[in-house]
Order: sequence, then C-alpha cells, then structure tokens
Amino acid sequence: MVVIDVHELTYTYPTTNVAALNDVSLQVTEGEFLAIIGNNGAGKSTLCYALSGFVPHFFKGTMRGRVQVAGMDTQNVTLNDLVLKVGLAFQNPFNQISGAKYTVFEEVAFGLENTGVPREQMVERVERALRLTGIDELAERSPYSLSGGQQQRVALASILVMEPQVLVLDEPTSQLDPVGSREVFQVIKEMSDSGMTVILVEHKVEWIAEFADRVVALHDGRIIAQGTPAEVLTSATLAEHGFGLSRYTTTAREALKRGLWLVERRLPTTLQEAADGFSRGKA
Amino acid sequence: MTASISLYIAGDSGLHRLHPLTKLTLTLTILLGGFAIPYTWASYAIFLGIVLPIAIWGGIWKQMLRSVWKIVLPFAISIFLIQSLFWGEGTALFAFGPLSIEKEGVIFAMGSVGRIIVVISSFLLLTLATRPDSLMNALTKIGVPAGITYIVVTTIQIVPRFQAKAASIIDAQRSRGLITEGNLLKRTRALVPLVMPLVLSSLVDVEERAIAIEARAFNSPGSKTSLNVIPDTSTQRIARWIMFLLIVLIIGYRIWWSLTFTN
Repeated sequence: MVVIDVHELTYTYPTTNVAALNDVSLQVTEGEFLAIIGNNGAGKSTLCYALSGFVPHFFKGTMRGRVQVAGMDTQNVTLNDLVLKVGLAFQNPFNQISGAKYTVFEEVAFGLENTGVPREQMVERVERALRLTGIDELAERSPYSLSGGQQQRVALASILVMEPQVLVLDEPTSQLDPVGSREVFQVIKEMSDSGMTVILVEHKVEWIAEFADRVVALHDGRIIAQGTPAEVLTSATLAEHGFGLSRYTTTAREALKRGLWLVERRLPTTLQEAADGFSRGKA
Repeated sequence: MTASISLYIAGDSGLHRLHPLTKLTLTLTILLGGFAIPYTWASYAIFLGIVLPIAIWGGIWKQMLRSVWKIVLPFAISIFLIQSLFWGEGTALFAFGPLSIEKEGVIFAMGSVGRIIVVISSFLLLTLATRPDSLMNALTKIGVPAGITYIVVTTIQIVPRFQAKAASIIDAQRSRGLITEGNLLKRTRALVPLVMPLVLSSLVDVEERAIAIEARAFNSPGSKTSLNVIPDTSTQRIARWIMFLLIVLIIGYRIWWSLTFTN
C-alpha cells in the first residue's frame, strides 16, 4: 500500500525565487525505510517539511504538484490533521524540547495533552514510548539536564508517543557523537522493524547502507538517483555530484584502480561486503 | 547551572499544596488590600499580620525577607530622600541650612514603602511556593489561552539557555580577537558582533521550536487534557469565592472613601 505519494512537486520559499524542490516525484509504501541523501541546500529538509505538511502550511510559499500522505492531500487538510499521521523530528535536540515541562515524562506527554488523550491512557503511552527509546530511567529528570543523545531520544519519544503512521526524521543524529548516534539509530531501526514507515535524511551512509530499504539522492532540488542502497550508494552519478561515499565504497574504488578489486564485482557499501570482496578478490 | 529563573522553592508545606488559583486569589486580595486601604500603616499591618505568618507556614519566610529587603531597600532610600526633602510646605522635623525634612513627606514615604513591601511580598508568596507550570496549567483550565501560558512558562525555562548562548558567543568572538573591554566607544563597537549572532540564531531557534510544538499538535482545536492533576478541595473553592467577595468589598470601600473624604 502506498502511504506517501509525491507527484511533480515544485516548491519555492516565500523569500526566494529559486525553487527548493523541482519536479520531485516519489512513492513510499507502508512499512518502508526510505533514506534521503544530498548535500547542503539540496532540498532534503524541504522535502521533509513537504511530507509532514509544514510545507506549505507553516512556511507558505508557492507549491505546485501534489503530496498525498496517508490518503490525505496535504494542501486540502490542516496541519493538525497531518501531525496526527506524520511525526517529524529534526536536527537540533535542544530546540525540540517544548520548554514548558519540567520532567522528561511530562515533556513526552505534551503532545498527548494537546490532543486531549485521557490521563490513564496518557501515562500508559508515555511509559511505552520511554521504554521504546530506552530512556525510562530518565523519566523524572529535567529535559534540559540531559546529553544531546538523550535529548534527541526524548524528542523521538515525544513524537512516537503520538503513534504516527509515518516517521519523518531530518538528520536526527547530525549533532550527536558516535555513541549518541548509535543510540538514536537503534531506536529508528526498531521502529522500522515494528512496521512503521520511516523517512530518514542522513549523511552517515554506512548506516543507510545497513538499514534502509531504498535511497533517494537529491541534488539542487531534483532527484538524481533512486534505488536500493547498494545501487545508489555506489553509482557513478553520486560520485560525479560530489556526494560523500561510504568508506567501504571509497576504499574499493581505490582498490579497483590498482587492480585489487574485481571489475565485475559491485562496489561494497557495508563492512561485510567489503570484507567478502577483498578476501575473494585476493584469492 | 540553574535549570530555570523561576523563584520556586520545592517544598511540601500546606502553602505549597494549596491550589495555584487559591494562592493567586490570595495574592490579589492582599495586594489590593495593601493599596486600597487608605491608612499609612495598613500595609505594614497586612505584611506583619497576614503575609509573614503565611510565609512562615509555607517555610519560605527567609527567602521572602531576603528578596523583599534586596528589592525594597533602593526604592525606600530614594523615596525617603525625595519625599522628605522636597515635600514643600510642611512641618519641618529637622533643618540643615536650606534643607529641611518635612513630617508629611516622611509619612507619605512610609506609606509608599509599605505598599511596595506588600506588592513584592504577596507576589513572592505566590511565586516562591508555586511551580510556574502548575499555575499556568490552572490558568489554562479557567480559560486563559494556551499560547499565553506557554510563553510565560517557556520564558522562565529558556532565559538561562539564552544567557548561556550569549556567554558562548562572547567567548567565540573574543577568541577571534574582538575587544569587549575598554572605553565606552570600544564596548559599543563590540556590541554588533555580539548581538547579531545572538538575535539571528535565536530567531532560528524560535522557528524550530514553533515547528517542534506544532508537530506535537499544540494548535489542536479540540480540548486539552493534563498529565498533572492539581488537587482542589471544596474548602478552597469556597475560600476563593470569599476572597473574591473581599476584593469587591475592598474596592467598594475605597471608592466610597474617595468620594467621602477627598472633596
């Protein structure tokens, strides 16, 4: 079942003349884990906002084409209808904390208070979200006293507690150290495994190669490559546009030039593929 | 680093446990009493006879006296100086050459200081013993728009973050050679590279936070629920109505007094 259907979307922010997204078409099926890659200014965040309805409802601007999410045309419904279906989390964990709450537990409950969920149900759902994100021991701490990785997991829990159908994550680990990133990726992976549709914007291609079902590469507001991680992350198009490749792909490309990697063998994107390729290549 | 600029002191006294609206009504009643009763010593009587005993009951009297002292002292000094020296025609108490201290000026100053004490101390009664979020929660329940109470509560929590950000911008710009010390001209010139990044980054922060709370259905049109239940009792409800009545009586009394004695 198609849960997201973007059709020839072109969008321009109100203060510019240059389109941030240009003729973007994209379909995502239910339960899929889609990664979006691209350099700065490629339109990744704008696409996230378009999928969650903030484009055009929050940012205004001019939008052409159509975005359908969970059976709703985003232009025909309110932002409130959309936030109940699409959860959005983004980079800066600090700015995602409401600032109105004194404990992590209250912070995570904020969205449920806003949607008028009865108290007993609220407590149950918050506890579940805290367990899912592995922060149940932090329930009584102030959200401001936490590390970046913990804060980002609070932000995730605050969205997951609302039980959205689609999870849109815009570089949720960009401000985290490797330990914090791993903690957050693990939560995202579990969400995906449990059947939630996940859209993830991410620079860490090693993680994408391992977890994503499909990758979309954006450049200057256009989709330039789309397919499985193995196809897209090793494609020549990406290298031409100056995308950062995974260290495994880079190493194997170099090895290929020196005759250490078999020409007929596809370039690796994961540690396992690289190890396999090198051990057989040598033999 | 403190988590907030709120004055709230955690505690479990009877005062702490009162419903926030009861405390708010109490504060308003005391405040109005201090202002409206037209006798110089009334505000002192209210402070000593009502505010202070409640503060002792709530275990917050030390902090209250400290804050009252700090805030009121500079006011008191300037009011006394101005009112006693520049009263004009009056009964002189002392005279040093051309300067004389008038009795009427001193009494007027005493009255003003008393009122300031009542205002400050009654507000402290509320703020020292009430969590800002539960007060705002209670206000939202009686119909104050959620947007307004949200701004009040977040400001309390976010101002310290703002200060921390300002400090790190100052450090960053100094490490690049910005001179932030010296004469007035140098300091003024240093303001632009300090204020610009602070303002611009704060605007970005505000936009992101707006998106984040919107993503959590902040503008949901339906009715909201609340995780924390604030216990209320029928006694307190009755007490609040009595205090309302008292407020009306005090205002009525003051109007009557003005009409009778000022002409």
